[in-house]
Amino acid sequence: MNKFCCLFITAWVTVVMLLSCKSPNEDLPYLGQTTQADGKTVHHKVGNFSHYNQDSVLVTNKSLADKVIVADFFFTSCPSICPKVIREMMKIQEAFKDEPMVTFLSFTIDPKRDDVARLKLYADNLGIDQSRWYFLTGDKDATFDLANTFFVAAFEDKDAPGGFDHSGKIILVDKEGHVRSFSEGTDPSTTPKLINDIRRLVDLYKANQK
Amino acid sequence: MLPILLLILTVSACNDSPYMQGKRLYTVRCANCHMEDGTGLSRLIPPLATSKLMGGAAMACVIANGLRDTIFRDSVYLPREMPAFKGLSSTEVTNIINYINHTWHKPFTETTILEVEEALKACP
Ligand code: HEC
Repeated sequence: MNKFCCLFITAWVTVVMLLSCKSPNEDLPYLGQTTQADGKTVHHKVGNFSHYNQDSVLVTNKSLADKVIVADFFFTSCPSICPKVIREMMKIQEAFKDEPMVTFLSFTIDPKRDDVARLKLYADNLGIDQSRWYFLTGDKDATFDLANTFFVAAFEDKDAPGGFDHSGKIILVDKEGHVRSFSEGTDPSTTPKLINDIRRLVDLYKANQK
Repeated sequence: MLPILLLILTVSACNDSPYMQGKRLYTVRCANCHMEDGTGLSRLIPPLATSKLMGGAAMACVIANGLRDTIFRDSVYLPREMPAFKGLSSTEVTNIINYINHTWHKPFTETTILEVEEALKACP
C-alpha cells in the first residue's frame, strides 16, 4: 500500500467516525427472535450440543456454562473459506490470550472425515492454545441443526468446493446461550468490531460480579 | 461533491498494483488459502514470499497442476495438498504470477506469457 492510499484511507476513517458518533457503551443487542412468555422477554438461544474435542473430552453447553463462547463451523479439508476464517479466529484468540472467560469452538460439519485424531492433527499444525480452543466433532445432523441456531447456514452440497456449503460467520455467545454479536470470518475488516463486542461482554460480566 | 472526489482519489491511489487482473484472480482463487497478504496459515498453508518458485515463471506448474506432499511432506496432517487450477489460460496464469512477484518479490522482473507457456510445457 502506498503513502497516498494510507492518507485517503485515514480520511475515510475520520469521515465514518464523525458520521457514526454513537456511544460505545450502548448495550450489546440480543440477536435473533425475541418472544414474550408470561410477561417476560425470552431471547433466542443456541441449541444444545454434546461434542468431542481434539483430546476426546466431551464438551457440552453445561461444561461451558461459565464461558463466553466464540464459535465457527468449518471442516479440515475445506478448500474454500475455512483457512481465512480460522486465521481471524486466531487473531481473536490472540487478543484474549489472557482472558480465561473466553473459549473458542470450531465445530466440524464433516464429522465422517474429521474424527478426533484428525482434529488433533489440525490443531497441532495450527499451533494455537488448545486449552481454550476446542475443535469439536459429533453427530452430523445435530451439528447442522446446531449451526442454524448459531445463524450459520451449513449443508451438504455436491457442487460446493469440498462438498459442503456454509457461511464463515464467527459467532459470539454469552454465558446464558444468547447470540450477542458476530463477524464475517471471510472479511477481516469485521474482526475489530467483534473483538470490541467480546471485550464489552466480558467487562459486563466482571462488573456484575463485584 | 467532496465525498465523491475523495472516493475517486482513494480508488486511484489504492490501485497500486499494475497487475489488476492478476490481483483479482489472486483474491478470488488463492487468497482463501494463502491469504490476502500471502503469509499462509501456520503449518497448513505455506507463505509465498519465501517460496523457491518466486521471481519467475517457475510457479506456473504449481498453479496449473496443484501440489501435493511437497512443502509439507514431513507433516503428519493429511491434506497437504493444493488444488490444480486447470481452467486458467496462460494469460491469466501470467497475470497471477506477475501480481505475486510484483507484490512480494524484490527485485521484480516481469514474466512474459511466452515464458509461462514454455514453463507449462516443461511441467513434470
Ligand atoms: C485450498 C488451499 C489452496 C489454494 C486455494 C491455493 N493454494 Fe497454493 N498451496 C496450498 C498448499 C497446502 C500448498 C503446499 C502443498 C504441498 O505441501 O505440497 C501450496 C503451495 C503453493 C506454492 C508453493 C510454495 C512453496 O513454498 O514453494 C505456490 C507458489 C502456491 N501454492 C501458489 C498458489 C497460487 C498462485 C494459488 C492461486 C492460483 C494458490 N496457491 C491457491 C494451498 C492452496
